[in-house]
Amino acid sequence: MTMLTAVADLLGLSSNTLLVAVAMAAVGMAAGVVGCFSVLRRRALIGDAAAHATLPGVALAFVITGSRGLPVLLIGAVVSAVASMGLLVLLRRFTRTRDDAATAIVIGVSFGMGVALISGLVARGVPGSGGLERFLLGSTASLSAADARLLVIVSLLSTGLVAAFVKEATVVSFDPGFAAAAGWPVWWIDFALVAMTAVMVVAGLPAAGAVLVTALVVIPPVAARQWTDRVGVMLVLAGAFGLVSAVAGVAASAVVPGLATGPMVVLAAAALFAVSLVCAPSRGLLAMALRPRMPLAPPERGGP
Amino acid sequence: MSGLRGVIEFLTASGGMHGWAMATAAVVSAAAAVVGSLLVVRRMSLIGDAISHAVLPGIVVGVLLGGRPGGPLATLGAVAAALLTVWLAELLRGKARLSEDAAAGVVFTTLFAAGVALLSAAASRVDVDPGCVLYGMLELVPFDTVELAWLEVPRAFLGGLLVLAGVLAVLWLSWRQQLATAFDADAAAVVGLPAKAMTTGLLCATAVVTVASFEAVGAVIVVAMLVVPAATAELLVATLPRLILVAVGLAVASACSGYAVAWQAETNAAGMIAVMLGVGYAAAVLIAPDGMLARGTASLRLAWRVVCEDVLAEAWRAEEVGAALPASPRGGLAGMLAAWWLTRRGRLLPGGRLSEQGRGQAEMVVRSHRLWETWLGRHVRLPLDHLHPPAEWIEHYLGAEMRQRLEAEMAHTPAGSVAADPHGSTIPPER
Repeated sequence: MTMLTAVADLLGLSSNTLLVAVAMAAVGMAAGVVGCFSVLRRRALIGDAAAHATLPGVALAFVITGSRGLPVLLIGAVVSAVASMGLLVLLRRFTRTRDDAATAIVIGVSFGMGVALISGLVARGVPGSGGLERFLLGSTASLSAADARLLVIVSLLSTGLVAAFVKEATVVSFDPGFAAAAGWPVWWIDFALVAMTAVMVVAGLPAAGAVLVTALVVIPPVAARQWTDRVGVMLVLAGAFGLVSAVAGVAASAVVPGLATGPMVVLAAAALFAVSLVCAPSRGLLAMALRPRMPLAPPERGGP
Repeated sequence: MSGLRGVIEFLTASGGMHGWAMATAAVVSAAAAVVGSLLVVRRMSLIGDAISHAVLPGIVVGVLLGGRPGGPLATLGAVAAALLTVWLAELLRGKARLSEDAAAGVVFTTLFAAGVALLSAAASRVDVDPGCVLYGMLELVPFDTVELAWLEVPRAFLGGLLVLAGVLAVLWLSWRQQLATAFDADAAAVVGLPAKAMTTGLLCATAVVTVASFEAVGAVIVVAMLVVPAATAELLVATLPRLILVAVGLAVASACSGYAVAWQAETNAAGMIAVMLGVGYAAAVLIAPDGMLARGTASLRLAWRVVCEDVLAEAWRAEEVGAALPASPRGGLAGMLAAWWLTRRGRLLPGGRLSEQGRGQAEMVVRSHRLWETWLGRHVRLPLDHLHPPAEWIEHYLGAEMRQRLEAEMAHTPAGSVAADPHGSTIPPER
């Protein structure tokens, strides 16, 4: 911790501010890494349902425990995010509602429920309830050093888990049929990936808020995908992009007063994506425009 | 009647404040439900979700140029933002080879973030509360009115009414085309309908509805108003006209009840409307014609019939060999319950022997069982000890006609007529 204080002094920041920035960097990185597999698995918007569903969980955790400590609220958020994922599975299994509509229902209704709960608490003047609104669009202002440490630990654990099971997650993402035929526990790997996405969505709440946090698990992986066709490289790049956008966004909202963190984080990520879209070596728009048009290859002779 | 008087008092209190707010919510919800019906049946719910978020910067720019949050300039801006969303998502899918959901995820979060940032940056010049973006200000709607002949009408209500009328008019005029496209967009394109233009039109309508509901419920909760009524109606009815009617009915009911409950509970009306829509959907999941209750009772009823028939058949077999009845029937507690019920209904006599009526029913179960064993033995050539388990299942599902056909078919085989099953037990005749 002394080193941190020294660095903070060097930068002219309070050590708390620096710790929060480090936490946001870790969260951005882990969200980017975990998000890679939900993008590769074509489930980018599942995270959005989980994100909106965190809101009632946060409010209910506050109502039940009366605590406004971040760990308690985030546990509530994880529970309701995972419950919403379970609800999606149940709706798919037991109703005729199609996936897209089911996702939209979970997004709209759970967000409405969260808003109604939080507004009700605020209208009754419950002390501390006003702070819940920061989960809508994100704000790192009230994070304590302990909160920051918790976020760092969660992020490093998630990143470590992904690193340990890259092979499994890759096989399931690219060819679930093959994975199942080869006897892999596809259901469990899928469940673990979705659950980790939910956890990272929750960890990203202070940075980006419920409405926008899905961008943390979607945009950096998508930007990274532009640069490479290899999963390992994509994971590293997505982590880096997530880290940079989280730090840039938090810094921008610290400079401009009254600006929520979430939009700035998302805009920073979007800027990185735009650069990737244009400049990436083989898939980039620039490279495609400059590449000489290949003449059609003459038909091969003596084929099968 | 005091209840009705209470309702009227609530609606007309303080210059009709609640009445107008409720009417605004109802009109806006109805318009959203109509557009949402098309989105849901065309499997475009998530695009609707993306657009409702992505129009925010358009609205903010419209307001910055001097418009009002629900006015024509904001509408124009929102439609432009919606088209931009669709164009960008297409670009990302085509050029960057992103999957559909990833493209939508990138575009709408970016545009929404841009909208919020723009709003915060111009906070001093725009009177739009960032909170309004997220959950609307239905409570304040009645105070912004325009003079219409002799009536003071809230602006948002008027805007919502115009949008509802416009949506209904367009739907009326293009009904046949909408029906064809909703049913199968590719086929509609093949027969020469402008399917692509209609899709774009639907997305623009989504943008317009979002603008109309912006002041009432904000740009996030409108997702619930677009998708939930139609998804609920889809569980209850089967044709598009009915789906739209039911969706509108549900939307209006949820808007009114949500507002009233929110007022009672002192909370945000838009959030409560979304909760009411969710309650309606949950109810439909339970009570729809093929809902969970109907399916649950059907499978319970089947399970009960199987238990009862097993008890009867067991009694019949005991009678056949002249054995004593077992102390307690098969199937544990369910079997005992079934025996009690069968005694009450006169199928079993006290003591567990079959009544004449029960014997008839039991015989048909045993007949089904043994016919099936015989058929399996002759046609599938299963070994003797493999015949019983499948017959134990199917005995509950064979009807009189099926039994007769089995018997008739086997009568024509070289093995001849069927008097006994492969185990040598007599097959009872049809009654």
